[in-house]
Amino acid sequence: MELTFTEGERRFRAEVREYLLSNISENIRQSVYEERPLPREWQVESQQILNRAGYAVPHWPVEWGGRDWSAVKRTILVQEIDQNSVPRPLPFNAALVGPVVAAFGTEEQKRRFLAPVANLDMWFCQGFSEPNAGSDLASLKTSAVREGAHYQVNGQKIWTTAAHKADWIFCLVRTAQCERKQQGISFLLIDLATPGITIRPIPTIDGFHHVNEVYFDDVRVPAENLVGEEGRGWDYAKYLLGQERTSLGNIGFSQRRLDRVRALAKARRGEAGPLIDDPDFRRRLSWAEIELKALEITQMRVVASAGNPAGGADPKTSILKIKGSEILQDAAELLLDTLGPEALTAGFADSLASDDSQGLDAHSSVLSAYFTSRKYSIFGGSNEIQRNILAKAVLGLGSKR
Amino acid sequence: MNFDLSEEQRMLADAVGKLFEAQAEDANVDSHKLWNGYLELGLLGLPFAEEQGGFGGGQEEIMLVMEAYGRTLGTAPYLQSVLMAGRLLALVDGGTASDALSGLLDGSQKYALCLFEPDTRYRWHEPGTKAERSDAGWTLSGEKRAVLNAETDTHLICPATTPEGFGLFLIPPGASGLSLRERPTPDGRIAADIVLDGVEIAEAAAIGDPANNGALVAKIVDGAILACCSEAIGAMEKLLALTVEYLGTRNQFGAPIGSFQVLQHRAADMLIALEQTRSMTIHAISMMDAPPTQRHVAVAAAKALTNRASRFVGSQAIQLHGGMGLASEYPAGRYFQRLTVLENMFGDSNHHLTEMEKGGGLAAAL
Ligand SMILES: Cc1cc2nc3c(=O)[nH]c(=O)nc-3n(C[C@H](O)[C@H](O)[C@H](O)COP(=O)(O)OP(=O)(O)OC[C@H]3O[C@@H](n4cnc5c(N)ncnc54)[C@H](O)[C@@H]3O)c2cc1C
Repeated sequence: MELTFTEGERRFRAEVREYLLSNISENIRQSVYEERPLPREWQVESQQILNRAGYAVPHWPVEWGGRDWSAVKRTILVQEIDQNSVPRPLPFNAALVGPVVAAFGTEEQKRRFLAPVANLDMWFCQGFSEPNAGSDLASLKTSAVREGAHYQVNGQKIWTTAAHKADWIFCLVRTAQCERKQQGISFLLIDLATPGITIRPIPTIDGFHHVNEVYFDDVRVPAENLVGEEGRGWDYAKYLLGQERTSLGNIGFSQRRLDRVRALAKARRGEAGPLIDDPDFRRRLSWAEIELKALEITQMRVVASAGNPAGGADPKTSILKIKGSEILQDAAELLLDTLGPEALTAGFADSLASDDSQGLDAHSSVLSAYFTSRKYSIFGGSNEIQRNILAKAVLGLGSKR
Repeated sequence: MNFDLSEEQRMLADAVGKLFEAQAEDANVDSHKLWNGYLELGLLGLPFAEEQGGFGGGQEEIMLVMEAYGRTLGTAPYLQSVLMAGRLLALVDGGTASDALSGLLDGSQKYALCLFEPDTRYRWHEPGTKAERSDAGWTLSGEKRAVLNAETDTHLICPATTPEGFGLFLIPPGASGLSLRERPTPDGRIAADIVLDGVEIAEAAAIGDPANNGALVAKIVDGAILACCSEAIGAMEKLLALTVEYLGTRNQFGAPIGSFQVLQHRAADMLIALEQTRSMTIHAISMMDAPPTQRHVAVAAAKALTNRASRFVGSQAIQLHGGMGLASEYPAGRYFQRLTVLENMFGDSNHHLTEMEKGGGLAAAL
């Protein structure tokens, strides 16, 4: 056992921090700290700065821009990115589509997509969920029918984050009706500029515009955009969801939020004296600190044991997802409660406003953070689904039959 | 970072697991036989430096031993005698302490550190027990509470306030003016309330340095708290396994009750609580050599979380067993009893959260 960071790991952390603080502009970091919407060009600028240092896609194969860093180092990297209010590399690119193309794509697809995806010259969004296929994703219906050198795509995706900013979408589509619904699904890359695609915003309770509906109406997609084999999309989706685990616990993000809670609570009055000294408030903060520190170690235990790729998915991964989202939500509640009466007149965003900040300022973003935080226990496999996984896959509890 | 056991650690965990399981199954075991098993395996010397006759084990090795102890509901006075009294004796200078340590290491003597008193709840730092100089040496008066494993043949180490500060005094079994009231704890062990009514002891029985003893005891107590956390982790691990097994075999409404999702999710939450506790304890172990405030904050945080998890896992295990959970013959209840005792030892969550906050919180301890 080596329960503390090695000298090399500590040096790496310092190096990363130094690079982030001296290269990412103050404007961008302030905006992330305050959890305001990030203009597209800031996200791009920031990812390109990360990419130059190998920080955008370190987990990719080395020949496509990855670095041979241990999972512990990559976890340190993500934590530093989050804690220093640097925008994360776009997850759809770096964590999701990239690794799938690198693992299952043709040489031609790798050459065409990987470098621009790493550098965010090409922005991908994720078209998995559909109106009737959420947790039960395999019941998706969007169809792709092969016609010569093309697929003809029809159907609807929903909850597509940032589709309105994206250039491309990677989709799970149905290419065949099979006995098992997990069969007959394929993984398709689609250029959003193709005729027949309509994107409609879904305003959300946080006052933002980040999710959309995406409609496909006789969209012609070149067959060369199929990734891997036709009909094996479900396997690729499973591969993709099991990929980069270093950020699942959202450790640095929660740390940043708790830092902000402490800063705000020191400056505000509680029932008697500074809010930070209010016993009940302080106690809630203490529990959040404890759970977060424990999760930081759980996160390290997951990635450190994932050293050998043959090991398969670590069941503790679901713990990261559940606890990570709960702590983020607790931190958001603390943030909101810290504002007191100021919260009500902090102002609220107009999610369809054209300006980049969508009318949000440092105050109203606290409210948004509170509302938007509910999503962390819903997307990427809801916390109920994660508990199903823990019960079945880890504890071996059976179903009715 | 690396959380894998080394080869030696794996061997230790294996050997200890086997010994404790055999002892737990042995119907004729008595306290002498128990302790002899510990002696033969080298556990009595485990946490001491080689120069002191030990094997140089650290908090990681103690974690392995105590997890196994918790899994098997051990009853031997290992925490009390070796991890608390013994490690304290190893830290203080002087011939009396090193003689005492030798008696402990060869298995002939058992020791107990008497920390808590009627009026101070979990704050042992300022003993109400007083030590005054006498012709022969010292006279001790006061009361101690709930001293785990203190029996009539146990040597006691008593903190007491002296004009010079925090005194530590070795009291041999049967000293005049000493009375022990032994009570069974709910988890099958013994704890004693102790009255010191003008106990006379020799000059040499004062060990350590009153200016420094408090800091040494603080370190010993932090280590002991982590040992309790590890014990609770072992107990929770076993209790969860028992519960999952029961969920798979007990049928109601024509199906194993483990097929009901509400119970599956409860079990998942028990697992989460256990793993988070394990992580926090690992963190605190890694902080054992940090400056005292940081060390103590991390330990207090670990105990607070362990306490919360113990109560949750313990009570839910009983709930998921239905009426069977209430039967004292059935093991689930015994694990719940052990977890409840551990929760109480060295302080409840409220106490430890307060300690953590006094130290500036976890964020300050990074
Ligand atoms: C802000 C946001 C961004 C998103 N971004 C994307 C994106 O970019 N791309 C994309 O493809 N998708 C995205 N999603 C969709 C997300 O993955 C789905 O919302 C999620 O899979 C849940 O599906 P659902 O919304 O249909 O809920 P449902 O599956 O209908 O679930 C409703 C409730 O039932 C519970 N439930 C369902 N099944 C079970 C079960 N077997 N046992 C117990 N409880 C169950 C769920 O936990 C939940 O509480 C996003 C969602 C949100 C909120």
